Amino acid sequence: MERSLRTNTTNRQNLRIRKDWLEMMVLLSPGLLLLFVFVVLPTVEAFALSFQREGLLGRNRVFVGLENYIEIFKSKENLQSAWQSLYFAIIVAPLEIVLAFAAALLIARPFPGVAVYRTLFFLTTAVPTGVAAIAWSWFLNPQTGWANWLLERFGLPAKTWLQDSSTALPTLAVITAWAGVGFASILLTAGLQQIPEDLYEAARIDGANGWQQFCSITIPLISPTLFLVTLLVFLRSLTAFGQIHLLTQGGPADSSMVWIYRIYQDAFFNFRQTYAAAQSVLLFLFLLLLALLQFRLVGRKVHYE
Amino acid sequence: MKKRYLAFGLAAALGAVSLTTAQSGRTTVTFWYALGGSIGEQIEGLVKTYNASQEKITIKAEYTGNYDDTLNKLRAGLQAGKGFPNVVQVYDVGTRFMVDSEAVIPLEDVAKKNGFDINKFVTQPRNYYTVDGKMYSLPFNSSNPLLYFNSKALAESNVEQRPLYTLVQLEDTIKRLTIKDASGKTTRYGITWNADSWFVEQFGYNSGYAYCNNENGRKTRATETTFNNPAAIAFLDMMGRLAKDGYAAPVGRDGTASLNTFVNGQAAMYVSSTANLFGATRAVGGKFPIRTSFYPFLKERNGVAVGGASLWMLKGFPQIEQDGAWDFIKWMVEPSTQARWHLGTGYFPVIQGVTDRLDVKQGQVKNNNFVTAIRQLQTSKSNSTSAGCLMGQFTEIRTYVVSAWEEVLKGKPAKQALEEAKVKSDAALTRYNATVAK
Amino acid sequence: MNKTLARVFFYVGISVFAALLVLPLLTLFSVSFRADADVYNPSFFPPHPTIEPYQIALEKYPLLRFLLNSFVISSLVTAGVLLISSCTGYALARISSRVTNTVFALIVGLLLVPGEVTFLPLYIMVNRLGWVDSYFALTLPFIASPIGIFLLRQFFKSLPQELFDAARLDGAGHFRMLWHIAIPLAMPALGALAALTFLGTWNMYLWPLVVTNAESLRTAQIALRFISSDEAVRYNIVGAAAVIILLPTLIAFLIAQRAFVRGIAMGSLKG
Repeated sequence: MERSLRTNTTNRQNLRIRKDWLEMMVLLSPGLLLLFVFVVLPTVEAFALSFQREGLLGRNRVFVGLENYIEIFKSKENLQSAWQSLYFAIIVAPLEIVLAFAAALLIARPFPGVAVYRTLFFLTTAVPTGVAAIAWSWFLNPQTGWANWLLERFGLPAKTWLQDSSTALPTLAVITAWAGVGFASILLTAGLQQIPEDLYEAARIDGANGWQQFCSITIPLISPTLFLVTLLVFLRSLTAFGQIHLLTQGGPADSSMVWIYRIYQDAFFNFRQTYAAAQSVLLFLFLLLLALLQFRLVGRKVHYE
Repeated sequence: MKKRYLAFGLAAALGAVSLTTAQSGRTTVTFWYALGGSIGEQIEGLVKTYNASQEKITIKAEYTGNYDDTLNKLRAGLQAGKGFPNVVQVYDVGTRFMVDSEAVIPLEDVAKKNGFDINKFVTQPRNYYTVDGKMYSLPFNSSNPLLYFNSKALAESNVEQRPLYTLVQLEDTIKRLTIKDASGKTTRYGITWNADSWFVEQFGYNSGYAYCNNENGRKTRATETTFNNPAAIAFLDMMGRLAKDGYAAPVGRDGTASLNTFVNGQAAMYVSSTANLFGATRAVGGKFPIRTSFYPFLKERNGVAVGGASLWMLKGFPQIEQDGAWDFIKWMVEPSTQARWHLGTGYFPVIQGVTDRLDVKQGQVKNNNFVTAIRQLQTSKSNSTSAGCLMGQFTEIRTYVVSAWEEVLKGKPAKQALEEAKVKSDAALTRYNATVAK
Repeated sequence: MNKTLARVFFYVGISVFAALLVLPLLTLFSVSFRADADVYNPSFFPPHPTIEPYQIALEKYPLLRFLLNSFVISSLVTAGVLLISSCTGYALARISSRVTNTVFALIVGLLLVPGEVTFLPLYIMVNRLGWVDSYFALTLPFIASPIGIFLLRQFFKSLPQELFDAARLDGAGHFRMLWHIAIPLAMPALGALAALTFLGTWNMYLWPLVVTNAESLRTAQIALRFISSDEAVRYNIVGAAAVIILLPTLIAFLIAQRAFVRGIAMGSLKG
């Protein structure tokens, strides 16, 4: 009697485990299949292609070992592109963070009318890259743009922003930073709002003024978030594409031929897909390195909390 | 419930557009074209007329972006083995690639089979599109570069317009047409000239220099570029001087910015294809009359090559579609079509017997700038130099030449910039030739 | 007194800052209401405001069709992401086994793969499948989103075990628990993920640029590029088209600002 009860329970448990297993497969497999096909396979294929050379229209692919990579490292242009991407990100990240942090500080705590300002500061989140590029190209129009009009009011010489190889990349960086301000200020505002209000109250009771509060509470507590957002912005700006495609196409004189744009150019314009694949792999490894860094830092941050 | 209606509505809306209405007995032929703006409207108009003119064939015309985009998309389709059109418009410099792709049907063969006489084409466009002794594609829109003048500015600055300009004469004219204020700031530029490789190519041809070796790649396959010739060097050095001293508008490589500058009266001269004649005239409106002159040259005039594009027919479709494609291409180069096209754009007619038509003559009286391009073509010498360079990877090579131009604007000597571009270009060409070697 | 002055300064300062930030957008609005003759007049307001550029833009270009394409693609991707992320996330969170743990670690690894880098091999694959110029190419590759799976897995993991134990006793299987317990509780998280995904898809540029040729499949972003090169001389029309293309996201953002803000904060920081 006792034994049969136990067998019954085990049977039922076995049945449930089998049913669990089945349900899990049903729930898991579509997602995993899609991830495999659209994320894993292309990544593997990029590696495979990068060791090949191909004929016209992708015919006659042959294995050539590291030839593509050797060519990349030998070519001045590719190294220049890598540098341009870094240079671009080095301008974008601090600029965007300064603007967004200023905005976040202003709107993190409620005051009458804060909703309006929040909307205005977050607004660029809703502006698609293409629209941003169009707006700026008109704003910066050398002959009639408001930017030059303002410069001239202040007695400064008009500039040809995007048509001049010495200003094109920094100008694109400003546009990119502008377009990201909404995104970054949302993150920083959220970060600021997580700082407990009573810390400030305690400081006020101790007689700390605003600046002291800022230095001793806000900065230390927001700095992990600040650092993280900076890294995020940095990563994002390394793959900025739309604005460059719309505004300068890598020019003038290759001055805005950033890494990702060169890959596009080589793959879809010069038809060197395997060579472009090798460049993709390098960019991938580089971004992976940065992402791993980010991941470790996030891990540490979580750990501290 | 509401949501379901919405979803249904969306599906219906999409279906309505993407489902081709099944018209009984009509063959659908896809045609990719690469011209937007007012020129694109003209193409749409032609296709509409063609579709209405007969009952057998429906041309499905798709604007696939500019010339570069269109060629890129075609290559992607060819590589995939599907998703390419029956007929495609490919620009002049894509010719070598198209032949090498082995994906096209030589139209000279089709023409012969259908009793169409290819001798009816005007000599230069015919020469341009003859590759290895055969016409692979039929020219449709052929153009050459012109100097555009704002005649009000000419009068204001008391400058005579010449029919022909050497480089020295041109530079002098540009300087005289420039207006600067007391502080030395330019208030009206002498010229607006966007950095486009085509202008370098044409200046070389017009001065008697080939762009690539083996007689512009016409005798045998080109293996090396020759754009670092005295004409191109003198030309780019002039562009550098004009930019530095504020005589040329700082428009960079942007052709439309250049047109804007001219249209708004901020520059007295403008350089562009004859194809922009109609668009420019419309954009200028009544602000000032436009005058045109032949493209300049270094010392002695040889003649310009034809630019623009031709129509290609692709392999891999059923015979009934191929027949439809041929019928359409043939219609596109008919004198009556070409007359309308010429007057609506400024492209010159590629086939004989158009200029004698009454409507064309009347149109030309109304806007006699249309005649400049045709006269420039008729008076060009016919040789391998003016036939234009035929080589692979031309699109990539053009980007190097544009970069060289931009380097010159930054202050680099033209000789050095062009030689650097030549190294990159020759590497690209060698690479290309290796991929098609048999 | 001093306090009032400080307040005035604060409002003036913050307003100037906000105005400078939206200035480039105002340029766009300003040019879009101009007649052809006023396009190159540098005044702040259009001297003779007109809606003609909007009429021309709508007449010449199937802008609504482009927006509909963007909308359909973004909706499909969003729906797919919500579905796949819920299922996969649930399985990874509630069913504990060595398999799910390994899979989860792998997905965390995929989080590190920057999407922009795989566009070339993905394109080669899509092209081989003959999917260029199809809604497949524009949607399918994106509906399994590592970030979405990760977020929902974390969320489902945080739900109290007792809820599920109770359901278990009632004889509920995983499907029922997912549908009746997990998803209703995850609504705010799903809403935020939806906002994030929708916006991200709507703003895609590089991918639709390389996988679409046909006008009937063109998204609003890519259409802008065609319009801006076609109409460069009539910038008022380009401006009007850009404003029309901006409007849907702008309106959605104004209405659902909260979901957007939460989505962005959650999707980017909680990692």
